[in-house]
Amino acid sequence: MPIGAEAYRRVEPDAELSCGDIAYLTLARTRELGEAPPGNAYDPVGRVPAYPMPATLALAHGREVAVDTMFGLVVTHSCEIDRQKNRGADEGHWDCRLTVAPIVPEPRVRIRGDTATETADWDAIAANVPVASLYLPGVADLSAMDPELPAMPWPRAFADLRGLSTVSRQMVRADRLMGLSPDYLGVLQRQLVRFFVWRDVARHEQVEAMVGRRIVSAIPASPKGDRLAVALTADDGSSITVELLAR
Amino acid sequence: MQTTLTSLIKERGQTYASIAHRTGLQARTVRMIATGETPMDRVTVGTVRQIAAALGVTAADLIEPALPYPGDPALSRSDRLSHAIREVMWGTTAPEAYPSPVESLDDPLAHVQPADFFAGTQAIDADRG
Repeated sequence: MPIGAEAYRRVEPDAELSCGDIAYLTLARTRELGEAPPGNAYDPVGRVPAYPMPATLALAHGREVAVDTMFGLVVTHSCEIDRQKNRGADEGHWDCRLTVAPIVPEPRVRIRGDTATETADWDAIAANVPVASLYLPGVADLSAMDPELPAMPWPRAFADLRGLSTVSRQMVRADRLMGLSPDYLGVLQRQLVRFFVWRDVARHEQVEAMVGRRIVSAIPASPKGDRLAVALTADDGSSITVELLAR
Repeated sequence: MQTTLTSLIKERGQTYASIAHRTGLQARTVRMIATGETPMDRVTVGTVRQIAAALGVTAADLIEPALPYPGDPALSRSDRLSHAIREVMWGTTAPEAYPSPVESLDDPLAHVQPADFFAGTQAIDADRG
């Protein structure tokens, strides 16, 4: 489990923008007018993030822009951030957009579900087991990271990869707090790979590996509603769990 | 959700129903305002005054402190960030909470170290990591 001193680095105000920068931002998303995040009925499949009360700006045709004010983590790769600069393009032609993930602190996390399996397991979050988040450890005293700040703690949190949006470079530069350490950037990159592609890749490889094998055992797991998970074991000892939908 | 109103109701030993009784509002209306489901800035001034009177406070006491906005030139960068950390990260005026991202299925890849995961991968730009 990483600690703050391992996960973060100090960022000078005039330092180049980088992947892993953490800044105080306004993040915009569009939605239907008044559309609310999930209520008490927890959605075990979609896990749609419920954001804090946003400011809203009405659009035509029953839509609106919801603006969340929160800390965000830059996930755009540093190579992409610098690409046009490294090609010698004038600064006016650099792409101004950076992709950021909202940062959700522990004091804001509450379990909506009432089942035993849906618990806020911070050990799992800290080990980066969920594919949709990057654990961000707490810091006892942020003034060690930024001498301009008073002595104050930073809670443990996670960057929510489900809520990616874009902001301009200047917004990140104006209220940048700190950055991820080079080692922890590797963990961010691993989580991005897992979030965007790994689940499909994993299924594909697992299924392909089972083709031509003889199933030697099928063990049904506990059913959930009209769904039944079955663990299949092949004659070479490999196994895969598939979910069946009863019709 | 913990709002200024819920704190005041608790401090004074009141309930949604007792506030509703004193103001003539529906208990559900009081609850929605207290939990932030109906944001305070969408409540009529008259209703805010009624609730404030029932609690023995001024209407201004019910207003949530404003967040420091990113880039606000009235504040220094360090003031913006330190206020934001207190309000947004620690949640003294906690808005709606998030669901946990924890999934029940384990993923072996979660336990692979980055160095192992990227072993053999050609560096795209060694200078920038």
